[in-house]
Amino acid sequence: MPIYEPLTSEKVAVVLDIGSAFTKFGFTSEFAPRNIIRSQVRCKNTNTIRRLYDFQSAEDLYDLLVEFIHTIFFKYALISPKDRPVVIVESLLCPTLFRESLAKVLFLQYEVSSILVLPSHLVCLASLAVDTALVVDVGYKEAVVIPVGFGLPIVQTWQALPLGGEAIHKNIQVLFNNTSTGAQNLSEEVLEDIKVRCCFVTKKSRADQLALPRSDLIPVPDIKYSHRGSQTLTVNGKIREKAFEILYEEDNDHFCLSTMILDAMLLVDRDLRNILAENLVLTGGTCMTPGFKARLKEELLKQLSNDRYRKLNVKQFKFHSMPCKENYASWLGGALYGATEFLGMKSVTKEFYLKEKHLPDWINLKDVESARFGSDVTSARA
Amino acid sequence: MSYITGPEYVRYACTCGLLKSLPNLYFCRHCSQLRCGFCVCPEVDSIFCGKCSENIPSAEAKVKKNKCANCLICPSCQQDLSTRIASKGVVNPDDSKSPAKKTYYLSCYFCGWNSRDVGIPDQTSPTGGWPERENVHSNRLQELLDSYKQIMLSQKQQKENDKKKKFGKFVSYTDRTGITASALRKRIGIPDIPHAMLRKPKLPESSTATTEVEELPDKFFTQEIDLLEVTTIEQRLLQPESQPVTVDKLFPAHKQLSIKKSLRCRHCERNVSKPEYNPNSIKFKIQLFAYYHIPEVRLVKVGDLKRGQPCEIIIKFTNPTQHQTTITILNLDLAEQERYVEEQQMMDISENLEVLSLQFKQPTSLPSLPGSQPSSLLSLPPRQPHLTIKSRKIKQTVNSTVEIPQSVFILPPRDDAAEYDDSNDTHNIEDDSNLVIWRKSNKVCIKLLVNIHEGETIGEEVFCGFTMDHVYTNIIAANFENKQPQKLNHKVRIFLNLGKM
Ligand SMILES: [Zn+2]
Ligand SMILES: [Zn+2]
Ligand SMILES: [Zn+2]
Ligand SMILES: [Zn+2]
Repeated sequence: MPIYEPLTSEKVAVVLDIGSAFTKFGFTSEFAPRNIIRSQVRCKNTNTIRRLYDFQSAEDLYDLLVEFIHTIFFKYALISPKDRPVVIVESLLCPTLFRESLAKVLFLQYEVSSILVLPSHLVCLASLAVDTALVVDVGYKEAVVIPVGFGLPIVQTWQALPLGGEAIHKNIQVLFNNTSTGAQNLSEEVLEDIKVRCCFVTKKSRADQLALPRSDLIPVPDIKYSHRGSQTLTVNGKIREKAFEILYEEDNDHFCLSTMILDAMLLVDRDLRNILAENLVLTGGTCMTPGFKARLKEELLKQLSNDRYRKLNVKQFKFHSMPCKENYASWLGGALYGATEFLGMKSVTKEFYLKEKHLPDWINLKDVESARFGSDVTSARA
Repeated sequence: MSYITGPEYVRYACTCGLLKSLPNLYFCRHCSQLRCGFCVCPEVDSIFCGKCSENIPSAEAKVKKNKCANCLICPSCQQDLSTRIASKGVVNPDDSKSPAKKTYYLSCYFCGWNSRDVGIPDQTSPTGGWPERENVHSNRLQELLDSYKQIMLSQKQQKENDKKKKFGKFVSYTDRTGITASALRKRIGIPDIPHAMLRKPKLPESSTATTEVEELPDKFFTQEIDLLEVTTIEQRLLQPESQPVTVDKLFPAHKQLSIKKSLRCRHCERNVSKPEYNPNSIKFKIQLFAYYHIPEVRLVKVGDLKRGQPCEIIIKFTNPTQHQTTITILNLDLAEQERYVEEQQMMDISENLEVLSLQFKQPTSLPSLPGSQPSSLLSLPPRQPHLTIKSRKIKQTVNSTVEIPQSVFILPPRDDAAEYDDSNDTHNIEDDSNLVIWRKSNKVCIKLLVNIHEGETIGEEVFCGFTMDHVYTNIIAANFENKQPQKLNHKVRIFLNLGKM
């Protein structure tokens, strides 16, 4: 028997943050996601696991999302999606095809009543109650830096580089190839597991020595990693320490994680620069690696002596500490926003969608107006 | 039963344009159309715990965060945990007859994890009191949430007030007389306090950033690491709030509840599948599987697949219904399906407007159902009418053509008793011997000729297809309107994979 909810009960909304590697799922008003699952589905035709972001065409993506959203509602949320509001937390740089396909699946296939789309770089500040910050999101596919000033993301100054979990996994494989262990073509799951359990971000002083052809550095202990049951793989100290170095190896254009952050600061108003430097916010799963923050601070301070950044006139960097784990910081923002009247006021309704056939766009400034929750806090404070 | 596991050699085209094997299709008897998992509307029917088989009402499941209050799973391998008894002396050491004092701890039979390893004290009751982990930030976050709610509420009210002011000019007494509310208050001696609603909400305190960051502990450079002590990413994500890095921080987790799902036809809003409520039952209250209504086609034999000469294939038809049917093999005619899809897309815009106007006119009432009365109240749609899924163009192409036979053939009804009876096998049916090569009870084998198209090369998979027209006897209409069972012609496109050339 279907159980109808009493009319008086507050309708909680599902909050979804679909990352390229992991999806955070939960409900509004809650302070942690119910589940963090991989953004993938089992393809029924070929019986293989496919990641959502590996789609081949618009229709393929639609079908993958139909399957994925089905899992979210019927395996985890355990509610019928029809006539329910949904909160989506997404990157400001989310491909249009992806966000439009998601909206189409939710509205047409699952008939949700409304969708509230929130930009991750803005809403991750909700749990800190700050409205101006430089938000650095280091995820799986890329690292994205977007300054937020008085509750508005300064989208024009965004910086992105393919520096994240995926690049680190590839780097670990390269490091293995350079050893004599013969561990070639390791699967991404194994590489990820080695990254998570064996590797860390080392100190700058050690990293400089590691980069030299020879040094008298005492290496960190090797780890015996049992692989495929019986085989043992030696994850040597060099691999453990160098896996994350790719974040700070400048490419041909001298870009790396630290320069991105400073470049974004160069693009904002002079008066805002110091405020941003003293309000750094790190989100995304990669930021949870031991040593990540400390090293980033060292790298940023080092870059300040560079001619390019001297004119920033920045002397120090201050970091915020999140009241949550970094990998669900944006999700948490969505859960907070979605619990307020904002949900009813700024959601895209099914009626609107059926008429317009698309979502309003972030990049369109008129539409961004609708995301000024942060600035509302400012005006209330003033 | 090779179709359960093996590759799908025979696939039927659903009304929505997707190809599925027969056991994956539904047949809506009210619309007389095929439906599949993609084009029906799934709904949560009932919620239960897969371990203790307890049904949980949805309101309770919501409070319990979709977790079973009683069952716990292993934080290490995610299998069900068992409660084990440990005896610790006696309840009253002075009394020799005192019963043994029992304590309980949790243990995993699969990986050996147990609650004592992580320092959880044994419990005196088998069912519970296992300590739950609190979110250390919950006070701060609750404070934030409360102020955000207030801020947004006052903003909403302000907006509504602004709207009222715009439209409500000259309505209020004070406005008309030119006296402000504040002046009026003063005059009649009430202190001038702004309305509670207009008071600025209290702001949450901002987080302060520091130059201090968590340094990498020196032990990373010297300490030997035993990987058995370090959690995997799956173990961490099982507990999103704490995401423990070492195994000694793993806490037992409550088991996620499961659901039974019902499926609704989007056209007529009736169920095509509805399970029984009891979690232990695997039966259905409503199950309109196509397997019970549409003749089953199986590939029996495929001749030599060679270009330039017709290939003989033998296929078997089985009638699953209690009614005799006549089957006609027709052209596949994919162009017609394509036209149908395009026509639907043309109707798309006007259809959406229709849905909208319907919703505005009758926001809660039921949409009028044409024809007969619904079979049960439960299958009535509780809410807005469904949006229908747009049909797609069938993607599968064929590289061979079936020679369409001139004659039709009859499939007798299913007769379970006849399965054991070899004698009475002639149904006195006159068959075209060029087409029908074998028949027994409700089964018929026919012979078809297939011509592979020019230009196909060796090693290529050969696909052919035809449209099966069968007479479907609809007993639903008969039940409700005291009429004779309705007979109608139902057409299905069927695709065969004949293997490699
Ligand atoms: Zn279908
Ligand atoms: Zn249970
Ligand atoms: Zn276990
Ligand atoms: Zn129907």
